[in-house]
Amino acid sequence: MERIIYLDNAATSFPKPDIVHDTVREFYSTKGVNPGRTGCDLAIAAEEMIYGTRRAFSEFFNRSLVDSGRVKDPNRLVFTMNATMGLNLIINGTVRPGDHVITTMVEHNSVIRPVNHKVREGAEATFVVPDSEGYVDPEDIRNAIKKNTVLVIVNHGSNVTGVVQDLKAIGKVCRQEGVQFAVDSAQTAGVLSIDMAECNISFLSFTGHKGLFGPTGTGGICVADDAEITGTIYGGTGVRSAVPYHLEEYPYRLEAGTLNLAGIAGLSAGLQWVKSKGVENIHAHEMELLKMLQEGLSEIPGVKIWGTKNLKNRVATLSVTVANYDAQDVGTILDVEYGILTRTGLHCAPLIHEHHGSVPRGTVRFSAGPFNTKEHIEAAIGAIAEIAADRPVEVSETVKS
Amino acid sequence: VKVGDKLIEFDHDGFMLDPSLWDDEVALAIARDEGIDEMTEEHWKIVNFIRNYWKENDLAPAVRLICKDVGVGVRQIYKLFTSGPARGACRVAGLPKPDGCV
Repeated sequence: MERIIYLDNAATSFPKPDIVHDTVREFYSTKGVNPGRTGCDLAIAAEEMIYGTRRAFSEFFNRSLVDSGRVKDPNRLVFTMNATMGLNLIINGTVRPGDHVITTMVEHNSVIRPVNHKVREGAEATFVVPDSEGYVDPEDIRNAIKKNTVLVIVNHGSNVTGVVQDLKAIGKVCRQEGVQFAVDSAQTAGVLSIDMAECNISFLSFTGHKGLFGPTGTGGICVADDAEITGTIYGGTGVRSAVPYHLEEYPYRLEAGTLNLAGIAGLSAGLQWVKSKGVENIHAHEMELLKMLQEGLSEIPGVKIWGTKNLKNRVATLSVTVANYDAQDVGTILDVEYGILTRTGLHCAPLIHEHHGSVPRGTVRFSAGPFNTKEHIEAAIGAIAEIAADRPVEVSETVKS
Repeated sequence: VKVGDKLIEFDHDGFMLDPSLWDDEVALAIARDEGIDEMTEEHWKIVNFIRNYWKENDLAPAVRLICKDVGVGVRQIYKLFTSGPARGACRVAGLPKPDGCV
């Protein structure tokens, strides 16, 4: 395989730590049976792994509860196949025709589209506009709340520009106004510390294959112990089979069918790896690379950085365009000529591109991960400098004039 | 657009709506629209590779594959087709608009 520099960690982290591969292989080859409390020894071992992972994530997302000796119900940690599925379950399980939901223009289509479908079914929606850098003012959320508002759902970290919203402030507004608060943590789980109790988060949807280093096809929702949601998928639960309707109790309320056993084993190992490295350490490393990349690219004539240059309240994602190039073409040249992998286009988040003015062709997105090095960033800066130099701004302006 | 005795329809991005109507004459017409004054042998090699790959696989080839198979650098492709392989070259090759994250 040719040498590659992977800078597309916002799409999925790559590579995964060895412990993830090893755990999936070991667990699935020795205990890869359908988990169940009433089954054989192997089924019980599989169930124990599942339950242990529920508990580990419940604690991971509720540090303040654990530290203060309070208990977070592990069964309210339900597994999904990704963040999108979790967000669909949250939106479909809380918003009904006639209800009002508040979200933002920063969202990914995993929120925009389900919300739009609810609007088509008779709900109302408000998309709060962020400031010019992409940050949402919590007071704008307060001002959007109406009598029929049942849910505020907010993207924690933008997959386009890396802006990180102030969950604590937004959660405070939601608590004061008595509205449930859901968070899409696809870009931040494992990258930033998230404390649901501190931020008054009712539902936290996460994906397993990005900052948590699990396999694709994993994720979940952590449901606060006082949050209310209706189940919207029905089927087998492995228990109480004679009951004609889907079970209300957790985790079954939001789960149906056999779980992704191998994936959850890998996700559990991914979480262990993240904890062993330290969330703060991983983020600090990635932000050091982002700073270097942002400063390096800022000096290249013709390169435009979209969104914020703020290095606080940020994850290591950077969107750029190069003058006289379509974003897709820059991505193609980076890939084919330099072996640098990025993501181009609208990144399934069209509203924030619209907000910043980077429509219709979008941007080139760089997103660093813990396995990236300063040498990778130097190579990326050098490659963009060469690409930009091929079609310099001055020549274009001369031609146009 | 009338090309010879054929009426060719395009989508709003300039890709053929009915790729089965493609022939060399249509390719030349699209190339002129792309600002290509003359279709050189190198242009045709790329176009024919894309066309044949699409007929076999029902999708546009990866740019890396074009470079490898035709023996041309990616920068050279951009010189030959200034709007790039995914738009310019695929348009001239008569492909429908390739999917991408836009």
